Amino acid sequence: MSHDIPLNWFLYFAAASFSIGLIGVLVRRNAIAVLMAIEIMLNAANINFVAFWRYGETPPGASPLSGVMVAVFVITVAAAEVAVGIGLILLCYRRWHAADVDRYDSLSG
Amino acid sequence: MTYLFVFISVLGLLAALGTVLARNLVHAGLFLVAFFFTVACQFVLLEAEFLAAVQVLVYIGAVAILLMFAIMLTRNVQGDMTTTTSRTWLLPALVGGLGLFFVLMFGINDQVGLKGRMTWASASTRPEIPRAGEGKPVTPRSAAINDMGRMVGREMVTRFVVPFEVAGLLLTAALVGAVVVAYREGDDAESPRRGIQPTRLHGAVTVQATNGHADGSDLPSTASVTS
Amino acid sequence: MATVNIAMVWADALLWAQQPQIELSWNTVIRWALWLVLGFFGAFPGIVAYMVWAERKVAARFQDRIGPNRVGPLGLLQPIADAIKLITKENIVPRTADQWVHLLAPVIILVSAFLVLAVVPFGIGLTPVNLPSGLIYLVAVSSLSPLGIFLAGWSSRNKYSLLGAMRSVAQLVSYEVPQVLATVPVVLWAGSLSLNTIFDKQMEHGWFVFSPPGFLGFLILLIASIAEVNRTPFDLPEAESEIIAGFHTEYSGMRFGLFFLAEYLSVFAISCIMTAIYFGGGTLVPWSDFPAGTLGAIHSAYLPASINATFILVNLVLVAVFFAKVGFFIFLMFWVRATLPRMRVDRLMNYAWKSLVPLSIANVLVAAIWYELVLRPGVVFKVAGWDVRWFVGTLVTAPIVLLLIWLVARCNRLSEKAEVASTTAPAAAR
Repeated sequence: MSHDIPLNWFLYFAAASFSIGLIGVLVRRNAIAVLMAIEIMLNAANINFVAFWRYGETPPGASPLSGVMVAVFVITVAAAEVAVGIGLILLCYRRWHAADVDRYDSLSG
Repeated sequence: MTYLFVFISVLGLLAALGTVLARNLVHAGLFLVAFFFTVACQFVLLEAEFLAAVQVLVYIGAVAILLMFAIMLTRNVQGDMTTTTSRTWLLPALVGGLGLFFVLMFGINDQVGLKGRMTWASASTRPEIPRAGEGKPVTPRSAAINDMGRMVGREMVTRFVVPFEVAGLLLTAALVGAVVVAYREGDDAESPRRGIQPTRLHGAVTVQATNGHADGSDLPSTASVTS
Repeated sequence: MATVNIAMVWADALLWAQQPQIELSWNTVIRWALWLVLGFFGAFPGIVAYMVWAERKVAARFQDRIGPNRVGPLGLLQPIADAIKLITKENIVPRTADQWVHLLAPVIILVSAFLVLAVVPFGIGLTPVNLPSGLIYLVAVSSLSPLGIFLAGWSSRNKYSLLGAMRSVAQLVSYEVPQVLATVPVVLWAGSLSLNTIFDKQMEHGWFVFSPPGFLGFLILLIASIAEVNRTPFDLPEAESEIIAGFHTEYSGMRFGLFFLAEYLSVFAISCIMTAIYFGGGTLVPWSDFPAGTLGAIHSAYLPASINATFILVNLVLVAVFFAKVGFFIFLMFWVRATLPRMRVDRLMNYAWKSLVPLSIANVLVAAIWYELVLRPGVVFKVAGWDVRWFVGTLVTAPIVLLLIWLVARCNRLSEKAEVASTTAPAAAR
């Protein structure tokens, strides 16, 4: 079917969305929005894994599904990260009554 | 197919921008769902439809819902307060993000292939996936692509068994950790437990049931509560 | 039937036409695309309309009434009248509502219900899409509906809507776990996630429901599915005596109609799935591939090279039997609705997490035992020339399944007693 999309295009898309995610992490003040931006970055990385897996040749003896497996584990870790992250955000929200990351400044002098 | 890719990518980037820029958090979450969906579409374009299904299941079905719950729990009830972006971080973020983007573009365009491998820029065709009945030899990889669910399972218990176990441990730890972190101490002392509530309201319901239904269809449970 | 389909297509086109932002040039294009797509899907709205009629008739019989009988013979034109009523009603959107999200929410739910039907093997070569990972796709697609419900409740700016939506999301997420786990035995036995392969395996080995772990899995799937589609006794999200109508309180006209359509369509879809994965699809007899077997070796995903009269006949029988089974499950759900009262909200959660989830996890292990004893290729238990694998398997697994159910029930009872003791004792002391 689709043998005409160059590999680079997937990489461009991943790079662009990773950069947008990075901007989001730096710019947003709300902790949940920061978490969302981190999810964007993780997804961009996943696209790269799968694209390289699909376009590259599998050496003999290597796993035929390497990129997909890594992507599956990234998804697993992302789910765990979101669960713990939201737990922490809720804890901080209860303590400071705000979900903005620049309000969590107890440690700054 | 290329048009489809461009269409999906533009949608995806717009959704990502929306996630970053939307003032309303629920809207940001919705844009994030759209972005997850476009990523799933990219996976389909890369012939990994199992991964696309997993992506939709985990990200849209679980992570997005979790984020929505978190928005509800950390805002006012309707969750419609808008958030602002931080002015002081705007310039550094733009410089960092755009700088990273240009560096990545430069790197992707000018990548030199490792010895004997092709460069990324010249990779525009994929290895073929011969199916069983087409006469060509079926490589393990094409078998894996054509029956990805089974092969992912097999890889998980053979080659990737250690990462699999570690991921399971991580998920368990995350589950326990999330409960421990988010558990409100003193919940039990202040208000009765969520599970069974021998409150006044409940007592009234029981009385009604006793009077109303001679057969006492829902009596055993409620009676045991009040006794 | 055709009238209903056209009416439904009209309804959706009108819904889109109500949006002022669409440009004229695009409008026509979008309209044409919608007409094509919804014309194809028009069959399903027709089914839904007559499901509603059937439910009203069945419920009426249960309550010793006659049911709809005014419009047409036996009230058969009632669904069309209802559809016209829904379409022509004014579409009221609360002024403070989030306009776009308010529109998007029913669409998401409806799409989720539609997409589920894409992988169901209705007959031989009649699967719309044969995905190798069809079951994961199914789970993924049906996990979209909590999102739609949440958005519906949130965008209405109504406290009852939000309460209903939160209840609903909590319930759907909880019951998704046993629902998915209850399909795991089937995957284990068929060795594939594709619904077509599952169908083929059932033609080979008999319906999966006729085994102790299979029956338990089917029961869990049935209960969890009823909860997934928000029907009585699990209809807390739209408990009209508590929170008006739950998440769709603020919806009217055809947008409410879309929720209605989605609910009944997902009942239909769930019944199709249960038929396909536990009840052998369109096969007529449990331990035989009877109608399909006359065609010789065949894979249910593809049409054979030559389509002759026998094939068409066999396929007709398959589809008819399939829909008969689906009709039975739909009737079962009507029956449950007419019989059981609504559950209490805390019991709802306890039931999912303390009863169904442990049972379904343990059931996977029992299913593995069943696989080793009965289904593994090469396993032979023969007594006097008769194949007795099934009896051996039942003898071994049935006590385990019964023991499991007893154990889970007992643990729940004990913990409930302990909890009651711990919560009532201080109250008495006060």
